[in-house]
Amino acid sequence: MIHTVDTILALVLLSVLFSFGSSRLPALIKVIAFQGVVVSVVPFFMGHTMSAGGVAFTIATLLIRGIGIPLCIYLAIKKVAIRREVEPIVGYHASLLAGLVLIVAAIFVAPKFNLPQTSGHVLLLPTAITLLVAGMFILMARRNAIAMVLGYIMMENGIYLVGTSFSLRAHHIVEFGILLDVLAGVMIMAIILQNIKQAFDDVDTALLRTLKE
Amino acid sequence: MVEIAFIAPLLTGIIAFFLGGRSSRPLLTITGALHLLISVLIWSFRPGAAFPDYFGITPEGLLSLLVISLLFFMISIYTTAYLAKTEIHSERIFTGCMLLFLATMTMVTLSDHIMVMWIAIEATTLASAPLIYTHRSAASLEATWKYVLICSVGIALALLGSVLITLAMDVGGVYAPVSFSSLTDVAEKLDPFWLKTGFVFILVGYGTKMGLAPMHTWLPDAHSEAPSPASALLSGVLLNCAYLGIFKTNKIMQAAGLGDFSGMVLIFFGLASMLAAATFILKQTEYKRLLAYSSIENMGIIAFGTGVGGIGAYGAMLCLIHHSLIKSSLFLSSGNILLGYASRLIDGTGKMARLMPKTFVAFFGGFAGISGFPPFGIFLGELFIVIGAFRAHHYIGVGLFILSICAIFAGFANHIMKISFGDSGVAVKFEENATMVWPQYALLLTSVVLCFWMPETVSQAVMNAVNSMGGGF
Repeated sequence: MIHTVDTILALVLLSVLFSFGSSRLPALIKVIAFQGVVVSVVPFFMGHTMSAGGVAFTIATLLIRGIGIPLCIYLAIKKVAIRREVEPIVGYHASLLAGLVLIVAAIFVAPKFNLPQTSGHVLLLPTAITLLVAGMFILMARRNAIAMVLGYIMMENGIYLVGTSFSLRAHHIVEFGILLDVLAGVMIMAIILQNIKQAFDDVDTALLRTLKE
Repeated sequence: MVEIAFIAPLLTGIIAFFLGGRSSRPLLTITGALHLLISVLIWSFRPGAAFPDYFGITPEGLLSLLVISLLFFMISIYTTAYLAKTEIHSERIFTGCMLLFLATMTMVTLSDHIMVMWIAIEATTLASAPLIYTHRSAASLEATWKYVLICSVGIALALLGSVLITLAMDVGGVYAPVSFSSLTDVAEKLDPFWLKTGFVFILVGYGTKMGLAPMHTWLPDAHSEAPSPASALLSGVLLNCAYLGIFKTNKIMQAAGLGDFSGMVLIFFGLASMLAAATFILKQTEYKRLLAYSSIENMGIIAFGTGVGGIGAYGAMLCLIHHSLIKSSLFLSSGNILLGYASRLIDGTGKMARLMPKTFVAFFGGFAGISGFPPFGIFLGELFIVIGAFRAHHYIGVGLFILSICAIFAGFANHIMKISFGDSGVAVKFEENATMVWPQYALLLTSVVLCFWMPETVSQAVMNAVNSMGGGF
């Protein structure tokens, strides 16, 4: 039987492939926003009974992960007026192939962990692993500073997906603190991005090479 | 009501953001004094927490809290004089961030909940990032970018590690609060596979923040580009805070009977950091980066000592305290050198013994302390770690340990001699007023005094902290 959760998670997996093959920053931001929305609504479909606080918290997550964070980055781009490529270190075709291998490996590895919590939701763990590793891949394989921030957010989404499946649910205050930290982090990164653009007239991290041994 | 210790600097920090011009300067020293008072009160009365689920007092937390308070007070006194001599773009942001930084670091020392610990450590990154960008140069921008990105990604891994530890509870069928103290009590019932995986992620995550190689790359950049009082805080206390996260997780591992595994991982990262520091110190050209690499070395020593366990863990605790005191004093002195010679390069300095005699005494004393000369505590700490490593039969490890300490001493001494007695054609335009020298003297003196006479309550706290992770004589 196919659950609703698995259906939307399949879309997330596809969006990872899309982000690997995409050269434009705005497209990448849309992917991040979509993933943010999906990982925040997953608890609704998990079949747990949810308290009023739980519902309120899920909506807050949705607002911050799905709208707040992507908007922050989008405004940063707009302010520095870049509509440029993501400047790949690893090419798009190679990235796509890596993405496919990653998804297959994640689906192969996930059942080996034997987690009772994920039974019934076949794609939950594979998607979490894929998002985590894909985020790291974007961090390493793209030279554009904005793309690197987006990679960090993708990684965060993956960790959140791992977190939602387990016992963390009972501590909404704590989880909200984590969310605020991530939001503040992204805002600070956005400010730094604007300053980098002002100082170097570009956000290519190859320019950030003066400090090294 | 231990929470007051971080709420107070949080409030004054927010106030500082709204004060214009120089009016925020006295706030630093006032908050520093207040914080020291609160810490001493907490230390003597041991009050409970208003939110016992999230916060609590532990011996290692109390030790770090006292060190943070003392350092911040001394640094705040130095900073008032420092700000009068330098041009800083936006002073209220600098002051505000220093105070918020203090608040978040205090929160780390008091947090008992795994996730609150994570929130606090990530918050230290966010509060300290604007400090590194104080000078608004292209290089400082690059340092800030690396700092925020590398540390955020690293700490995200620590978050995954924390989630995996809650998973170890689920799989093991344990229902307890997700706090370090309660997890240590039920450690044996946790699922060992997920606990180990969680520990490795937490070590890599918080290790990034602590400056363990190979995740240390942000550290020399951030420390060299930040203004010296901020570098002193970063090196003296921020690294300790990250270590606290690793220490507490290691405690769970010890209680779960997985101490051998966590010890091996800690020894590996510790030695890697020391070897990396040795390589880079030998050919270093800037003195602030030199000090930064020395911090990486000391964090390596502390990780190694913690991994060795037994008397080595006691040595690690001593190194932790004395490294904070001595290294922050060195960074403050490096601020004077930078003001005097207006150059970051070792080649741009020289003849400091004659040109800036008071700073020279502090800098040279700090060098003697940090490289492990007998009157200072680092010597005792390293000695205990070596003895502990021999007792635990880590012969190869202890060989590498001693080798890198020797190499680092040789490199460090060479550079310090050049700065102190080498030739210099530069005219120093810096008047050594008392407030920019005696905080360093006071910190060094504290280190020497602690070596010969430790108050009963402090040595008791050190022993308790060491015992709680399975160490001791």
